[in-house]
This record gives sequence, structure tokens and C-alpha cells, in this order.
Amino acid sequence: MSASEVERPAGAEETWSRLFWPAVVVGWVVIAIGIRGVLIDAADTLPGRWLVLFLGSAVIHDLLLAPVVVLLGIGVAKARPAWARPYLQGALICTGTVVLFAYPFVRGFGRQANNPSILPLDYAEGLVIVLVVVWVAAIGLALVHRWRMTRTTGA
Amino acid sequence: MRSPRDLALRARGLLPDQHSFRSPLHAQRPAAYLGMALGVTFSICFVTGVVSHLHQNPVSWLDLPARPAGLYRVSQGLHITTGIASIPLLLGKLWVVYPQFWARPVVSGVASAVERLSIIPLVAGGVFLLFTGVVNIAYWYDPMVFFFPTAHFHAAWITIGALVVHIAAKLPITRQVLGGRPLPDEPEPVHDGLGRRGFLLTVGAASATLVLATVGQTFGPLKRLAVLSPRRPDTGPQGYPVNKAASQAGLDEETLRDPGFRVAVDGDVENPMELTLDELRAMPQHEVVLPIACVEGWSFEARWRGVRVRDVVAMAGGRDGAEATVESIQRVGRYRTSPLNPGQLDDPDTLLAFELDGEELHIDHGYPVRLISPNRPGVQQTKWVNKIVVA
Repeated sequence: MSASEVERPAGAEETWSRLFWPAVVVGWVVIAIGIRGVLIDAADTLPGRWLVLFLGSAVIHDLLLAPVVVLLGIGVAKARPAWARPYLQGALICTGTVVLFAYPFVRGFGRQANNPSILPLDYAEGLVIVLVVVWVAAIGLALVHRWRMTRTTGA
Repeated sequence: MRSPRDLALRARGLLPDQHSFRSPLHAQRPAAYLGMALGVTFSICFVTGVVSHLHQNPVSWLDLPARPAGLYRVSQGLHITTGIASIPLLLGKLWVVYPQFWARPVVSGVASAVERLSIIPLVAGGVFLLFTGVVNIAYWYDPMVFFFPTAHFHAAWITIGALVVHIAAKLPITRQVLGGRPLPDEPEPVHDGLGRRGFLLTVGAASATLVLATVGQTFGPLKRLAVLSPRRPDTGPQGYPVNKAASQAGLDEETLRDPGFRVAVDGDVENPMELTLDELRAMPQHEVVLPIACVEGWSFEARWRGVRVRDVVAMAGGRDGAEATVESIQRVGRYRTSPLNPGQLDDPDTLLAFELDGEELHIDHGYPVRLISPNRPGVQQTKWVNKIVVA
């Protein structure tokens, strides 16, 4: 059975806090303040383009990034040996997030010839360093786990 | 022949639903813990973001204080660092609750419909804020056709509003988690993959990794670890970074080294005047140690030497409690002027500075003269100052 949040034991009612409806009012007033700001400052925000990137953020996550991660996860869930799998999964999660963050730095899109203090580092090297640390830690933890398992089994 | 309704039902049958996701990590407790962490980090980002917005867009009913001098450095460093830390938290949280995206029935009542509708601005806003924040500190402006600070600021209100609704919707489950009560999807089924606890630790480790790889741009002791930070506090002209070089502001050596360079003081003063650099240097000089704290989260502290702005304004006959706009010789750019409220103008550490760490300013640091003032964003530490308009 999946552990989704909408599932509950048969016959159980959805429970809503007494604060829910007051929070809906407050929350949507705050949302309206934000929308009003986007529209009032239209010269800066370019509302049409802003909306495309705003909603596009959710669409790209939900229909592209998440499905890719799910598919990768299905593949990794079959990885052998089984004792190493959690550490492989952990290392891949760290790798994915670090690579996503580092991408614009590694590509150096923002470099400016007349201001070398902007993006002054070799970010490809930085990324490799971080990933080496992540994988060494994951392999180390996996080996410790394996060693403990062997010791327990042998005892 | 099949009816459109049959085809629609058949297509729907091909789509996943909440039961299609088998990983035991799609569970309530990790969702709740990650949600609580994000509630904290997004709240910090929102409050520090509003502070930064108020610095850059002052309002008449609130004069921001000039003290503590390093407050903006801390608050903006916190804004960027907390935002970076939120990236793995948000991705982890969205992955844990991803089956919800496909959940059917789509809604189960009015409250459920409102809750799901409010999820759209929450997810879109969360991803939008972190994405635009990262590309902005990476100086990668192509994905953003709009003006980043304004677009980011208003999106933050939308996201926080949606977060208020979401927190209230999840209060019952949060209470259960905090009360240590078992949840319907517990205990975790036995499996040999990454467990729920291990997943949370991994997400935390990913957050810590990103923070350690970047925070050195504002927190000096960790600068050697900052292998992915967009700036180094010790790299740039005179050993310090700059946001905008003189050439980027359209200024050349000839203009800035013109012996006729003057600083005008006018507006609401008894004796409007134009002061040469020698006249300014003949006034009492003061040395202060103040940070430059950029909106992008990097900062450094340095020794500055120059003349107090309040002395200059007093010499021109400005009244007590005056405020002023400091202007740069640069002709275009949103940040070519910056306002000084009465407290900031009167602060003894608010200087027109000529020297940085005992040396004449490099032109990229604002030669011949720049503003330096406590508790302000770097973009308001106006460089190449040639005018003070008192009001």
C-alpha cells in the first residue's frame, strides 16, 4: 500500500484544523498581495513572462524532474548488493542536488570579462571535490555497515 | 468504435495514481519533518527578504536603523544561506509527496479542493524562488527576462500565503508527528533500500554540503571550503570582490581621475557648494571598520577612511535631522543613487571614503570617493559619488 497523505483507514473522516478556514482567508489575502505586486510593478515583472516561469517551475518539476527521479529510483532499487543500496541511494540524492545547484556555476554563464571577482573559481573542480567527498563518505559508511553486518553474523 | 468517454477512461487508466508509487519513503512522517524544516527556512528567507526589500525600497513610515552595523550582513547572509539549504529540503519534500500529484479522486470536498488549489502557488512559488535565487547569485540572467528583485519579492508573498494555508491544512498530522503518535502508514515496511530515517539524514547531509560549499563567501572562517561559492571575500581589486566594476558602470579612468572632480552638496541647504577632493580631504578624516554586504549574500569587512557625511552636510548648512540622496557620476543604472535616512546620515560611521585598508580606493571600489555606511546593502554603498542632495 502506498503511503500517500490522502489515504486513511476506511470510513475515517478527513480531519481539518479549526484554524484551516481562517488560514485560508489570511493565506489568500497574502497571495493576493503578491499577485497585486506583480501586476502593479508590471514594468519590472513582465507579468506574462513571469507567469510562464512561475507556473513553469511547477510543471518542470512535476512532469519532468520528478518522473526522471522516479524512473532512476526504480532502477537503483534493483541495484546489488542489497547491503550497499541505501548508501548508493543516499550518494545519488546528494549528487543530484549538488549537480543541479552547481550547473550554472560550472557552465560559467555569469562570468564577466571586466569583473574577475565574479565567479572567480574553477567550479568544475569544486564540483568534483564535493562529489568525491560525498562518494568517499557513502562508500565509507557502506563498508562500516558491511563490516558490522559480517561481525554480527560471524559472532 | 469507442466513444470519447471510453478513450478518456482508457487514457486515465494509463496514468499513475497514488497507489502506483511503491517506495516506502512516500510517507507522512518524512513529509511532516521536511515540511517543518521548510516552514522554518522559508520563514527566515521571507523575513530577511522583506528586510532587504525595505532597505532598497525605503518606506516613509519606517526609518531603518544604522545599527547594529553588521545587521544587514547577517540578515542577508542568512537569506542566501538558508535559501541554498532549502534546495535539498524542497526537492526531498516534493519527492516524498509526489504521489499526491497523481492522487485520485482529485478532491474529496470543499476543504480538500481549496487545499489542493493552494498547493499550486506553493509548489510553483517554492521552486521559482529557489531557482531564480540561484541563477541570480550565479549572475545567469538569461532565464529571467524580468527584474529579479521585484519578481522574486512578489513571488515570495504568493508562496508565503500558500504556505500559511498549507501549514493550517497539515496541523492535525503535524500534531500527531510531534506528539510521537504512530501514523496510519507506520511502521515502515521491511525493505533493504534507504529507510525513512536514512532519507531524512541524506537530505540533511545534502543541505549541509551545499551550505559548507558556499557559506565561506560571507563567513570568513569557512572560506577555504567554499568551492562552489559565487564569490570569495578575498578575491578582487585590493583583495576584495566588487559587484560592479567601473567599466561595467560605463566609467573610465579619464573621467574618474579628472583633477576637476567635485562633489556637489545641494537641495535643502543654506549654502549649496561644490567641494574639490582636496577640500574634502582637508576636513577631519575618520577611520571606520565596516562591512560591504551584498544582496547576493557575499560580504567582507574592511577599514575605510574618509570624511563624515554629516560634517559635509553641516558645512553646507543642512538642518539637523536632514536626509539625503547620494548620487554617483555613473549616468545609468538602478543603483546610481541611494537614500540616507536621518539616522543613517547622522551616524558617525557614515563616510565619504577615499581609502580602503590604508590605500587609495581602486576605481572598481569607487575611486575617487564612495559612500560607506553601517547596516546597509552593498548596492546602496554608492561608488564614484559626485553629489549629495539634502532634503
